[in-house]
Formats: sequence, C-alpha cells, structure tokens
Amino acid sequence: MQVDLNKEFAVPGSTTTAWTFLQDIKAVASCMPGAEITEELGDGKYKGKVKAKIGPATMAFNGDIDVKSIDADKREIHLIGKGQDTKGTSSASMDLRAWIVAGEEGNSTLKGEAAVTVTGKAASLGGRMMTQVSDQILNQFGQNFANNIASMGEGEEAEKAKDAVAEQPAELNGFAFGWSVFVGWLKSLFGSQKTS
Amino acid sequence: MDSVADKQEREDSLAGVGCSRKRKEDSRFIQGKGNYVDDVKLPGMLFADMVRSPFAHARIKSINKEKALALPGVHAVLTADDLKPLNLHWMPTLAGDVQAVLADEKVHFQYQEVAVVIADDRYIAADAIELVEVEYEELPVLVDPHKAMTDDAPILREDLVGKMDGAHSKREHNNHIFNWQAGEKEATDRVFDSADVTVSQDMLYHRVHPCPLETCGCVASMDKINGKLTVYITSQAPHVVRTVVSLLSGVPESNIRIISPDIGGGFGNKVGVYPGYVCAIVASIVTGVPVKWVEDRMENISTTAFARDYHMRGEIAADNDGHIKALRVNVLADHGAFDACADPSKFPAGLMHICTGSYDVPVAHLNVDGVYTNKAPGGVAYRCSFRVTEAVYVIERTMDVLAQKLGIDKAEIRRRNFVKKEQFPYQTCLGWELDSGDYHTALDKVLDAVDYPALRREQEEKRAKGELMGIGLVTFTEIVGAGPSKNCDILGVGMFDSAEIRVHPTGSAIARMGTITQGQGHQTTYAQIIATELGISSDEISIEEGDTDTAPYGLGTYGSRSTPVGGAATAVAARKIKAKAKKIAAHLLEVNEDDLEWDIDRFKVKGVPGQEKTMKEIAWAAYNNVPEGMEPGLEAVDYYDPPNFTYPYGVYLCVVDIDKDTGVTHIRRFYALDDCGTRINPMIIDGQIHGGLNEGYAVAMGQEMPFDEQGNLLGNTLMDYFIPTFVETPHWETDYTVTPSPHHPIGAKGVAESPHVGSIPTFTSAVVDAFSHLGVTHMDMPHNAFRVWKKVKELGLLD
Repeated sequence: MQVDLNKEFAVPGSTTTAWTFLQDIKAVASCMPGAEITEELGDGKYKGKVKAKIGPATMAFNGDIDVKSIDADKREIHLIGKGQDTKGTSSASMDLRAWIVAGEEGNSTLKGEAAVTVTGKAASLGGRMMTQVSDQILNQFGQNFANNIASMGEGEEAEKAKDAVAEQPAELNGFAFGWSVFVGWLKSLFGSQKTS
Repeated sequence: MDSVADKQEREDSLAGVGCSRKRKEDSRFIQGKGNYVDDVKLPGMLFADMVRSPFAHARIKSINKEKALALPGVHAVLTADDLKPLNLHWMPTLAGDVQAVLADEKVHFQYQEVAVVIADDRYIAADAIELVEVEYEELPVLVDPHKAMTDDAPILREDLVGKMDGAHSKREHNNHIFNWQAGEKEATDRVFDSADVTVSQDMLYHRVHPCPLETCGCVASMDKINGKLTVYITSQAPHVVRTVVSLLSGVPESNIRIISPDIGGGFGNKVGVYPGYVCAIVASIVTGVPVKWVEDRMENISTTAFARDYHMRGEIAADNDGHIKALRVNVLADHGAFDACADPSKFPAGLMHICTGSYDVPVAHLNVDGVYTNKAPGGVAYRCSFRVTEAVYVIERTMDVLAQKLGIDKAEIRRRNFVKKEQFPYQTCLGWELDSGDYHTALDKVLDAVDYPALRREQEEKRAKGELMGIGLVTFTEIVGAGPSKNCDILGVGMFDSAEIRVHPTGSAIARMGTITQGQGHQTTYAQIIATELGISSDEISIEEGDTDTAPYGLGTYGSRSTPVGGAATAVAARKIKAKAKKIAAHLLEVNEDDLEWDIDRFKVKGVPGQEKTMKEIAWAAYNNVPEGMEPGLEAVDYYDPPNFTYPYGVYLCVVDIDKDTGVTHIRRFYALDDCGTRINPMIIDGQIHGGLNEGYAVAMGQEMPFDEQGNLLGNTLMDYFIPTFVETPHWETDYTVTPSPHHPIGAKGVAESPHVGSIPTFTSAVVDAFSHLGVTHMDMPHNAFRVWKKVKELGLLD
C-alpha cells in the first residue's frame, strides 16, 4: 500500500537556519512523532525506531535511515527510511525529499514529498486510514520542526516553542491523534481539506 | 387393516423421502452442545501458532528463534530447515504441484507460514511468534495475472526453473502453470468467422473466500506407545486426509484415525490439507503429546483457500434470430503462488467445460491458462462443483450480451436456445451428457409467477422517469456429484462414495457414510432414504460420519456430491439389505421369493391377506432364523461409482431498484426455481437454497479480496469482508419442478450449490439490466454501492 504526500510548512527564521536544522538528521528525526535515532553508523546511515500507538494497536518499528543526498544549492535532503515492526507482522518505508525555500517576511518554508509504503498487517488493517494517518504524522512533524527552530530564538515566542518541544510526546499516541485523524477524514469527505 | 388410512399412517411413521422431517442435528446445535475441533481438549495438549510473512515476495535472509525459545512455556520453534530432514518442508498439492509447508528460503505470498511455535497455551504461542526475528529481503511482487507471463515478470517459483513439463501441460513461462483446452478450436473459429452476429465480453470473476463461521483447525495426537496417530480436523474429506497423512508421514494408514467432528460450515474451504495441519501433526509426532492448531479469522481469509479469480472472455456466434452457432471461452486463471486447486486430478480447470450451460450449442472451444502470482494458493469450489460457478457466470453473462445486441428479450433468447425436453440425455459439444431436464417448463413457471411482462412494462415507465430498475434472469445447469471414476479421481483414488448399513435385531439401524456433513443435514436426510428403502422409521436410524476408523472409505462432501454419490450408495446398500430381507421373509412365510411384494415396511404374500412379515420381524429373524446356508445378520456396504454426474438446474429472476444518488442496490424481489430431481426433504432443500442464495448475494454484492501493488491483502477481517446478516439479507421466494435423474437410484440430483451458482450471475444480470438501455453490457462484481455509484457518475446520471 503506497501513499504519496506533498506537504509544506511555514518555518520561522531564515532559510539558512532552517537548512542547517534540516541537515541535523538526529534532530529532524526527533520531530517525527514517536521516532528517534538510536545509532549513527556513519556515511549517512542511521539506525532508528518509531513507536506508534493508534487506538488499541501498538506498533514499534526498528529500521534504517539512509541519507541518499544532501544538496546545499537546492537546500534539499533526500533520505530513505525502512523499518519492520518488532513483531514481524508489518513493515514500512518512506522515500522522503525535503527542501527549504524562502517564505514571507524573512521566514522560510519547508517543503516535502514523501512516498510511504506499508506492508503486512498495518496495510491490511490500517489501509483505509493510511492517507489520513500519514498526513497527520507529517503535520505533527511540520509543527515540531517549526517549534524546534523557533525555540532556538529568543523572546516569548521562543519560550512557548521551547515548552512545546519539551511537551512533544515520546510516542505517537493517544486520543488526540486519533481525533485529528478522524477530523481530517471528515474534512476530506467534504472537500475542505487538500491532502496534497 | 389395509385401509388407505392405515397405509398412510405407516408411510407417515417412517418419515421417509419427501417428508419435511425436522433436522436431527439441530437439538445439539441450538443448545450449544455441538462438538467442534476447538472444543477438543486433550490432557497435556500444546498449541501451535504461525509466524507469517508481512511481505508478498521476499527472500528469507535469517530466522532467529532465540528470544522466542527463551520465553517460558515455549517448547519449540520449527522452520523449513527443521522439517527438511523429514522431507516435510514441502508437500504435494491436489493439483499436481508442490506447496511450501513452511517458507523455504523465500516467501511467495503475504501471510505465508514462515515458522511455527509450539507452546503450553494459545497465549504464550501468540506472544512467542512476535519474538521470532525474521530478516527479509524484498523482491519484486507480481499481483496482476495479466503480467505473469511477460518477459520482465519476476520469477516466482525458483524450484520450478527449467522444469517446463507441468502436471497438465507444457509450461510456456516460469510463471505459467498449465494450458488446458476442451472442444474444437478450428471448427469453432470457422463458425465465428462466418457468423451473422458475434459478441464478446470480458469479465472478472473476482477472488473471494468461502469464509465459513468456523475457521480451519486440528488437534493431532500421536500415541507413541501404540504408534497410533489420531487427528481431529475440520475436513470435508477425512478419508482423503488419512491417505495424504499416511503418504506424507510414513505412518501406516491403519495407524491413522481422522475424525471430522461437527463442522461449522465448509463451502470448499475445508477440502485441502494446509500447512497448519502438517505442522501440528509433525509437532505431535515429535513431542508425543497432542498439539492443537486453530487459525484466526485473518489467517483464514488470507491463507486457507480462496475461490474463483477467473479472468474470462465469453464469446458467442449466432444467427440473426439469436440461435447460438458457436461458443468460445477464454480464461486466465490466477492460482496464486502454488497450484493447490481442489479439482479432480485430470481437470486443472475443474468442470469449467460445462460452460455451454442449458443451451444447444453446436460447437465450442474452451481455453484456460493458469498462472502463478504472489497470492495465497487455493482455488477451491466455494459452494460450487469445481468451477461450475465460473462456467455458469460466463455463459449466462454472454447470453445477456447477445440478447442485448440483437434486441431480443433475455428470456426469449434463452427459450430459443434451450436443450429441449426430448433431447435428453443430451450430449454437449464439450463432452458431458446432461441427464434430464425440462427447461422450458421451468422458465415459463417463473415468468408467470412474477408476471414478467408487467415487470418489463414497469421498467419502461421507470426509465422514462429516469429511475433505475433492473431485471436479472438466469437459466443455469449445474454439474454435480463428482464423479464417475472414469472422469474423476483425487490423488488416484476414484471419486466413488460409500455407505454401510447395519440393521440391529430389534429392527433399528445404524449407517455410516464416507461423506461428512457440515450443515447439510446428513443425519436427517440419509435416514430418510433408508427409511423409505427399508421400512424402518427414520427416527430409529442413526447416521454416523467423519470417523475414518468406523466409516467406510469415501471421498467426502463438496461439489454437491453427497446426495448424488453418498445418497446413491445409501440407497443401493439398503437395497442389498432388502434383497436379503426378502429371502428371510420368504423363508419365514414358507413361500417363494417371487410370491412376495413390498408394502411400505413389510413383505406380503401376493393375494393372501395377513400373510406378511414386517421389517422388524425380519430383522429379529436375521439373527436367529435364517434360511439354510445363509449367514446371519442384516447389513450391507456399498461403494457407489456413479455412471454419470447429475445435472440440477434452475431459473432465477431478480428485480432490483438502484438509488442513483447513493449507488445502493435494493433487491426488491428474488424468485428461485430449482429442479434437483427427487426431493428428499423439502424443508432442508429450502434451507439449503436460502443459504446458497445468501452466499450468492454476498459474493455478487460485497465479498472481495483486493490486493494492492505490494501484494497486501486489503480486507481480511470481517470489518471488510462482507458476511450478510439478517439486516442485509433480501427476502427469498422459492419454487420447484421435479425432473428425476434417470441414472440415480432414487432420482435425486443434489441442491446445496445451485442457489449459489445460479444466483450470482442473476444479481449481475439485474444490476446491468438497470443500465442496459444506456449501452452498458457488463459490470464486474462486487456490485457494492460505491462501484455502482461510480457507474452512475460515469454515465452522467447524477442530477
């Protein structure tokens, strides 16, 4: 089961700041809800894990991240993440291209294109919610990414962003996420939300 | 004494053939006292659970069992490498192929069995499978059968590379399984080249699953002291399982006892031998304690035996009046990763060559190619006799297309092409001999019952108002009761069946058959056959099936074969007893056998009132006063090899109303007329027809097994897989005619599958009919609301 997603997020600060942050794979990974880098293998390769709890199902994915290219001119990073859940029933992979462009008023924009592929039970059981789930995961990612950059600055906004980063859940979790997926799905029914 | 009332009373007291006798088995089922495989609990029993592949096609790089073995309560983790020394990592299939028991170096479909965990209980086993670490390397996945034989298609079966001689034909590609043909290609092509009219229609009979309420499972119990292996198993063919287990395990067949206890529905799902059975048996042989394996719903739908998946093209050549001149059918059959179809050995496409249907077709050609894809193996006859469902679908759909092209009503075009009553027995051009039928009478009865002209008028009015109403009509002929051993065998064993009847001294009886009931009501109906034949009340006859230690060898129950074959054996065995009883009666009455006549439950001396012996008296005498030279006792066994198949038929009509805005199809009326020959128990027939129509409705309107490009099965739970409950089920109207089979001892033909086989194309016919005035000739199943709505949208019918 494959879902293609195109997203963009407003990021505070200059393109240079955002681009610097984007190249820090560990930091970027931590923006993904429930994800963390557990080992750096060198040569752009990492080991990581993702934990997701959606409704009654908990899935923990162990996997590899391979940074295929970093293009400073385009401010673009291309990476492939692959993982298998620890129970051996599902696997997931993401081919992600992310780049930074200049936004309004000296801020910048994070743009991303991702192809997410899921096999096994996760696809059989979660197939019909996959677009919404992937979309919400990326929305949270975008929010966390922006918060992380904002928290590097100073002042009230930065303090708020720091708090938000600190409160970022350790795993993809809970009712709030399920609710946002549900709302996203409802909205998509009425065409008020574009997932691409 | 011999009054009509007295005769009637004696007749009624038998509750024999023709009586709507209440089902004997229901008292235990409705009290929750059935005994299913999962109810079997033996001392010291262990549990098996399967590690399954998340990938549809991948190489297994490593399997690490350590963490699983470290879990307290886990006894063993077995992989293909562990089964290799026993040569049980692969097993033969019924279709002449081999199938991996546990994935050997590669997985070929999603959810394939990779390892089996044996543990103290089901919960520990379930925890332990998550601890088995399997490292995979993904391979390109082949999902679309149309791409199976292309040059760049991935090689699925590495074990077959270079082996181009298949079990049924030469293989043209490594993903090719067989080519199979029937009829005359050139003669058919010639007719097509010069015909007035030809039609051609592509259609997909989609992949579905029988999905019985009870999933598959077994309890294997090896007694190491006496060397006896007992297996409780959900099997529609326990004797075949015994033979297969003996061949695979090397345990002498005499030391194997297979018990099929109560079965919660089979529908073809429980014909085959599955890896779970083999693993449980091996585990029990190794450990010396009983091992239970019962699959869950996802495992059931995903791995044990899909049905259908025939990509078909039906073509008819006809004259301008709609008389068929030739039929051409081409099939691409998606068999999944291993060819494990359950068909008679000689027929890789089952009885697909019954596709000439109820029609007088001068010449025909059928071509079937089977291919491998990265999907689960199976290809079972889901409430159907070996691909008859597909055959009926293709001919009935194509007939509608022909009618539409010529502007002839779909009832009229059928009437013009029916095999006529006087043509029976009728030789079809594809090699079958239809035993009996009166199709015109059946069609007229249905058209009258529903007032067909009025329905067509109503449809005209509705169309004028922009409303969608459809009328579906199907006139099907089945081929059931496999089968004559000249045509049919399973692994070399002829497809006869058997009955053994013993009449006790006090006149009651026990009978055992080689078939096995899964809801058909054998305990009730077999007793009725014996009651009528022997004059013993059916309430005094107990029927036992499913224990290979006690029942005579038989090929089991599927393909509507119990009544045509097992029922025939029962009647013939009873007649053997009756012949002996007659000799005893003559001896007791001191007359010649020829002076006796049979009267319901006794032999009478012709023309001498009062000189008679009842079957009860004869039974007693059989154990103490037999003629000189005769052995005592009153029992018989019969192995019945049928001279022909039986050909039940029916006429089904369906009226639908489609809501344009939602795409919801409302089944307004469904009228089903069946002719199954002699009717043994009308109530059970009605029940069978209701059940079959329900499953037909399920397939036509909702059931499907969709796969994505990665080979993920999307929809293997009952959240997605459609099982109609009383909420969705339409109202069924049933009717019948009776045209007995001339070659069956009591004229019965079998009925359980007709309603499934016949109803599915009827629903399609009705849904398509609602759009036919807009030029639509066919719509693929399932006709769920979304798909129908898409058609409405595509045609621009939305306001």
